[in-house]
Amino acid sequence: MSGPDRIVIEGIGVVGGFGCGIHDLSRALTGSACSPGTLAFSTGSGTVAIPAFRADVSRLEEFLPVRTLRRIDHFSRLGLLGSHLALVDADLPEAERPRLGIIIASGYGATGMTYAFLKSLIDDGDICASPTCFAASVHNSAAAHISIQLGARGPNLTVSDFHLSVPSALATARIWLAEERVQRVLFGAIDELSELIGYIRYRTRDASAAARMTPLRTEMETSIPAEGAAFLLLARENASRGGYCTLDASTTGSLPIPGVPFPEPGLLVLGADGCRESGRRYAAVAQNARVACYTPLYGSLPAGPAFDLAAAALILKGGGVFPSPGGVFRDFPATVPAGGDPVGADRISCLTLSGDGAYGLTTLGRIESQ
Amino acid sequence: MLPLLKRGGVPCSIQRMSVAPIAITGMGCICAAGRNLPDSMEAILRGERNPAPPVRFSSDHPVRYPVFEAARFEEPPDLPRTSAFGLHAAREAVADAGLDRRTLGALRVGVCVGTTVGTVVSEETFCRGYLAGHAPDMAPIRRILRSNPADVIAREFGLSGPRQTVVTACASGTDAVGIAGSWIRTGLCDAAIAGGADELGRITYIGFISLMITDDSPCKPFDRHRKGLNLGEGAAMLVLASERVLRRSGMRARSFLLGYGSAGDAYHQTAPQPDGAGLRSAISEAMATSGVSPPSVAFVNAHGTGTPDNDRVESRVLHDMLPGIPFLSTKGYTGHTLGAAGAIEAVFTAACLEMGKIPANAGFETPDPEIGITPVRDVTAVSGTAALSESLAFGGNNSVVVLGKA
Repeated sequence: MSGPDRIVIEGIGVVGGFGCGIHDLSRALTGSACSPGTLAFSTGSGTVAIPAFRADVSRLEEFLPVRTLRRIDHFSRLGLLGSHLALVDADLPEAERPRLGIIIASGYGATGMTYAFLKSLIDDGDICASPTCFAASVHNSAAAHISIQLGARGPNLTVSDFHLSVPSALATARIWLAEERVQRVLFGAIDELSELIGYIRYRTRDASAAARMTPLRTEMETSIPAEGAAFLLLARENASRGGYCTLDASTTGSLPIPGVPFPEPGLLVLGADGCRESGRRYAAVAQNARVACYTPLYGSLPAGPAFDLAAAALILKGGGVFPSPGGVFRDFPATVPAGGDPVGADRISCLTLSGDGAYGLTTLGRIESQ
Repeated sequence: MLPLLKRGGVPCSIQRMSVAPIAITGMGCICAAGRNLPDSMEAILRGERNPAPPVRFSSDHPVRYPVFEAARFEEPPDLPRTSAFGLHAAREAVADAGLDRRTLGALRVGVCVGTTVGTVVSEETFCRGYLAGHAPDMAPIRRILRSNPADVIAREFGLSGPRQTVVTACASGTDAVGIAGSWIRTGLCDAAIAGGADELGRITYIGFISLMITDDSPCKPFDRHRKGLNLGEGAAMLVLASERVLRRSGMRARSFLLGYGSAGDAYHQTAPQPDGAGLRSAISEAMATSGVSPPSVAFVNAHGTGTPDNDRVESRVLHDMLPGIPFLSTKGYTGHTLGAAGAIEAVFTAACLEMGKIPANAGFETPDPEIGITPVRDVTAVSGTAALSESLAFGGNNSVVVLGKA
């Protein structure tokens, strides 16, 4: 896709452990402190609280009446807040909303409602299972709430490919725009922390309870579970009124990645999230590349690659690389530029690796006039 | 050309032009009607259907609602049943296409699978253990996390192309087929295995009962006395290929994916828009992209769940947009297989086009004056070069594919 068919990121809406909105993310990227909160859940040996990046959705009341929100669960609230922030950031006229296509990527979906439904039938019996929780537990519930609240009647899709959900869904977003199904796609990635996910993380990861993520230090497990939403308003360039950068490519597949090793002097943003096993894989794939990693600001979540894209978009718009907040480690076989260094190229790629040898790669480009 | 539909003066989708057809070179299916596509087609054309209370799980609910289980299918211990269904159907489709691993390895082949439960990270036994304060076995959770249905199929055949698991509730299977077609058309891959898969378990069974949209007798799509749906399970997969791959590989096209459309209702989480606006937009887009006009449409394989709301809205739209065209629901033979439904119904649609006949709409006896149109009551010969398969879903998703005769 090139020339008039290019896709522009017109607006960004983010909410996560770092705060709410693109300015909070920008502040975090330039060095503001960003400490995790906690997630508590019960275990057989008592309640455990682990470090976790939680997202505050209270700003949603700026966009929707409290009465409307009363029956909407946390997962969908994350999506609604992210979507409204992206539309405001892009200054999209209300009249354009009905024409939007919506694509949501989520690794785990509405886990809070899934767990609440299971709890209702386990605690109260099959006949008393909660229909409200069941209806809200479907993966596309957030996409439905967003389309209802925005009046968006275009095509509507939800994708769940665990840690590759974002690059996978973006590939389809690009196609919708290339095929001219719609002029704009509101793309969003959402994952929530629930008691169930907290417990699963506690049992499946090394419970080191690190207080700080150091994803480029691959011999240690330092991942911190997180929740949040990152939305991008995507538009065909010929319909766009400008924005952060272009979305040039997004693909998923099985390793090896065609075109690797990555060419210098571009920048590769790694989705490494402090998980020991995947850290080694990132080190192998990114060997000798020029890399950055911002996951310590928003934590470990399947929706994380969308935050990587938001960071990359800010770099392309601003011109300088942000410092990698997890630190630089000698053993990591790549170059990590310091904060303020020039990008070195007109493109930034964001890499995500999954546990089974699959990858996702999304490339953003500088808008020529910038 | 169907008119571009508008709501409140705003086009629901921009005008679409017809797109290149994508060849369907292989199909596979497993459901309550049969363990493969030929057996399933024979069964539904014989009018066989065997809904019964579930045998694979139990419930303390006082009413034993009938379901359509895929009998005599045992998943291997390392795979969730949903992914095992998907893999079973994919193997049949790949064999039907005459492909082997070597040929597949030489192509960039994508996998796009629709499901509702295949990526849900929860398991009842695990949750019961957790709530009881035990340390439940993590094996079921680990098994889910490494068994995303699209990944399982890609791993089995060593595929290098894009993978996507679509979770648009009951429209997932239709969306997966339509999206895979676009992947091929835009050059993202040369070919794709696309379809849907879903297992039936206690959680889904009790969830639908709690919503009070299940029928305690065999379902009766479009009938005046319909009371709701019966759940089912299974999978269907299609091998889709570009024209270039078709020429190079020597595969033959059994059918063609001609068009696809989808649109959101923006109305309600679980109820369809009463005027069917989203479905109308989806049909408009699917017809426009297919380049097919209504006189060429042989029949419509409707979503037809048997719920009062779905069948009322869907029949109203069919009456307005495709009047006089024969239609049916095949859910009376398979139950509602949720994320698999769109794919199972797509392969049934393609097979019916090949055979030039469609089965009776099982369960239909009494016309509903509120609906005003009636589905086919008997096995019916059809003429025409194309057919539609429709899906409506929770969340207000509406999706339609147009399939064409080879």
